[in-house]
Amino acid sequence: MDALANELKAKIVESLKLQDVNPDQIDDNAPLFGAGLDLDSIDALELVVMLEKHYGIVIKDIEEGRPAFQSVRALAEFVRARRPSQ
Amino acid sequence: MTARFPVITGLGIVAAPGCRVDEVWDSIRAGTSGLQPLSLFDSPRYGQVPTGEVRHNLIALGAPTHGSRSDQLGWLAARDALRSAGLDLSGGTERVGVLLGCSVGGSFDSERFLTTLLKQGKMRARPTRFHECVSVVDLIADTFGLYGPSMAIATACSSGALAIATAAEMILAGEADVMLAGGADSLSRMTWAGFHSLLLVDDAGCRPFDRHRAGTSLGEGAGILALETEASARQRGATILARLSGWGLSCDAHHSTAPHPEGAGAIAAMQGALRRAGLTSAAIDYINAHGTGTRDNDLAEAKALKSVFGDRVPPFSSTKGFFGHALAASGALEAVLCVEALRRQEMPPNPGFTVLDPAIGLTPLPLLQSASLAHVMSNSFGFGGNNAVLIFSKPESEAVPRLAHPAPGAITGLGVIGPGATCVRDIEPPLPPGSVTVHSCGALADAALLSSNQRRRLSRLIQMALITARRSHTPDPAQRLAVAIGTGLGFLEDAAAFLENLISKDEREPMPARFPNSVHNAAAAQVAIDLGARAMNSAPTNGEISFESALWQGMCQLATGEADGALVGAVDELNKYPLSIGQRWGFWTDRTGPGEGAMVASLTREETATTPLARVTAVRLGRYRRPFDAVREAEWIASAVNLAAVDVVLSGAGSVPALDAHYHAVVTALGDLTGRALEHQTYKQLCGEFHAASAFGFSVAVERVRQTGRGVLLYTLSLRGAKALCCVQP
Repeated sequence: MDALANELKAKIVESLKLQDVNPDQIDDNAPLFGAGLDLDSIDALELVVMLEKHYGIVIKDIEEGRPAFQSVRALAEFVRARRPSQ
Repeated sequence: MTARFPVITGLGIVAAPGCRVDEVWDSIRAGTSGLQPLSLFDSPRYGQVPTGEVRHNLIALGAPTHGSRSDQLGWLAARDALRSAGLDLSGGTERVGVLLGCSVGGSFDSERFLTTLLKQGKMRARPTRFHECVSVVDLIADTFGLYGPSMAIATACSSGALAIATAAEMILAGEADVMLAGGADSLSRMTWAGFHSLLLVDDAGCRPFDRHRAGTSLGEGAGILALETEASARQRGATILARLSGWGLSCDAHHSTAPHPEGAGAIAAMQGALRRAGLTSAAIDYINAHGTGTRDNDLAEAKALKSVFGDRVPPFSSTKGFFGHALAASGALEAVLCVEALRRQEMPPNPGFTVLDPAIGLTPLPLLQSASLAHVMSNSFGFGGNNAVLIFSKPESEAVPRLAHPAPGAITGLGVIGPGATCVRDIEPPLPPGSVTVHSCGALADAALLSSNQRRRLSRLIQMALITARRSHTPDPAQRLAVAIGTGLGFLEDAAAFLENLISKDEREPMPARFPNSVHNAAAAQVAIDLGARAMNSAPTNGEISFESALWQGMCQLATGEADGALVGAVDELNKYPLSIGQRWGFWTDRTGPGEGAMVASLTREETATTPLARVTAVRLGRYRRPFDAVREAEWIASAVNLAAVDVVLSGAGSVPALDAHYHAVVTALGDLTGRALEHQTYKQLCGEFHAASAFGFSVAVERVRQTGRGVLLYTLSLRGAKALCCVQP
């Protein structure tokens, strides 16, 4: 199990106020936008805020974040790569 | 009836590049951008990126010392528009009105109140007196003695153009001979942080249509046209600067902030404007594009231009690089430029553009260019997919009159949330503790009707609008549906949450999802998305007559044949800030309790309704004189309403004491005028005091008409001088 992926699922549910969605139900590889969780561009911006708040990753251009928002797995990889060293 | 066709006889402008029309044009000719580092307020997170801030001292230019920054900007532009039109307003006149787009309103000043409250724990509520978007309209009308129709429209970035189009409709409909029309908006922390949180600001300054564009630059200002009937202008020998020959309004019904990717709504609005002007696309000589500099807008707009104009897109430019994006003022500033472009036969350039974007495939004007211009188009597109396109023409060009045929509207459905139940509401922090007896609508029983995305993302008041709209209306995909949902104070829960967070965290961790919900047209836009309503979409904000303003706009769309159906309504919510500030100012009493509610009515043209609930036979807006003259009011009502069919006057009396005597005096004067006593009924004892309350009153009127089979006159006064009437008959 990927602890970071699980943590991100909880943060997605919390920051987007997803209703009737249990973090455990989110598939690591399922698309977050369009199909899957059916998120939209405003949700992507909320995820940008979440990434900065919890992981110190600053995104100034939504195109930068686009690869990260493909799935939870992609998001976890993005966080690992971009997270400032602690 | 070309005599009633709207022409432009005066211009006023206050913006970053200059505070006079010739000063602005000199900057444009010199190619000097008005964008400079922000200095109006500190922005710890976003810094001093290029901004179209007005750096002139507004008071030194003559602006009144009271009023918000938006009020002062608008007032200056109004003064100059009146001066250049050369109108004699001595004694005031009912034949001149004012209609402005304003979406920021007094936010910049209210933010000072909130900062003092959050950072110092001090309650300094004075700046919030000018919070409402309509404040600038009331100030202009009061100063210059304009007693014709007055209204503000808050549809974000398209407000100014929508206001000009609505004012033109008022002139054509005979509601006024002259309308001051345009827009005014100041910079504010709210819109500043809001656009930044949506990642829509280019730190390098906006580069509209450029391959490397990365967002817009915010700006502020005011632009006002004196729109006048041709007959009135000719009669007083005024110089006709240009003609407003067409306007087209539409809604994407697609998304709260992003444009339709193929520009579907933009195409419909451009085509609508051409149709209205009686022109083909080949007749347009220049286009002032919306061109914000965001990736999505410019791409969608370019696609729309190619769709409407094919491979012959006329010379075009975005002038946002001169002004910044001045939101509700934007379409009005650009309208002033279009009139000047026609007058000077010069086309303004597109600062910021250097590299062609292959995805766009169009090059805007690099430099100011002389050209023979007969017809020019101005595009404005706003949040909520709200589109307004104007066409201006040389004075000597032929007008194509397309008159509204004022006809009763059939009410086919009503959705009402309210009246609220009486309960005690505690005032929450950061405000000083207290409690107020309120009329609250409580939890929304019908929220389950909405989708999970609607429930999680939309605040309670927007949900109230959605629920009432759905209850009022049976969707018909073939119907072109217009939406006008008014609000006095807007979506305060969203605005307050966004600003409290912004100020207390010094711009860290912004709330991007809250920002689009905080704009006054959030409800109208969400209703349009929910019901696929792609005709005009509007959010009038006009104090106590916000509902009647929405009704006027909806009826107008039916009468001009621009829509087959119209959803009209108004919404306002209880919120701790007006509760607390109202209590401090002694506004809430045992008799006057704050309330909330939502009402949406579905209207169609009379001939298409099979079993209407009732009909709206008249709706009219105006302003009353001070001291109040009840006889003059009764005559105004009698000129619009068949009083023989009316038994009851339903008014907003019984709440705010200052208006009670006026209401009673008017009912008495109507009795004297008609020779028979009319029954005076009231509704605010049921629903409480809030700006959208007359929408609830309208539902009471419809019910009463259904029970008695006799007409009801709904008569509403605003504390700030506006008035409205609406007649409901079987």
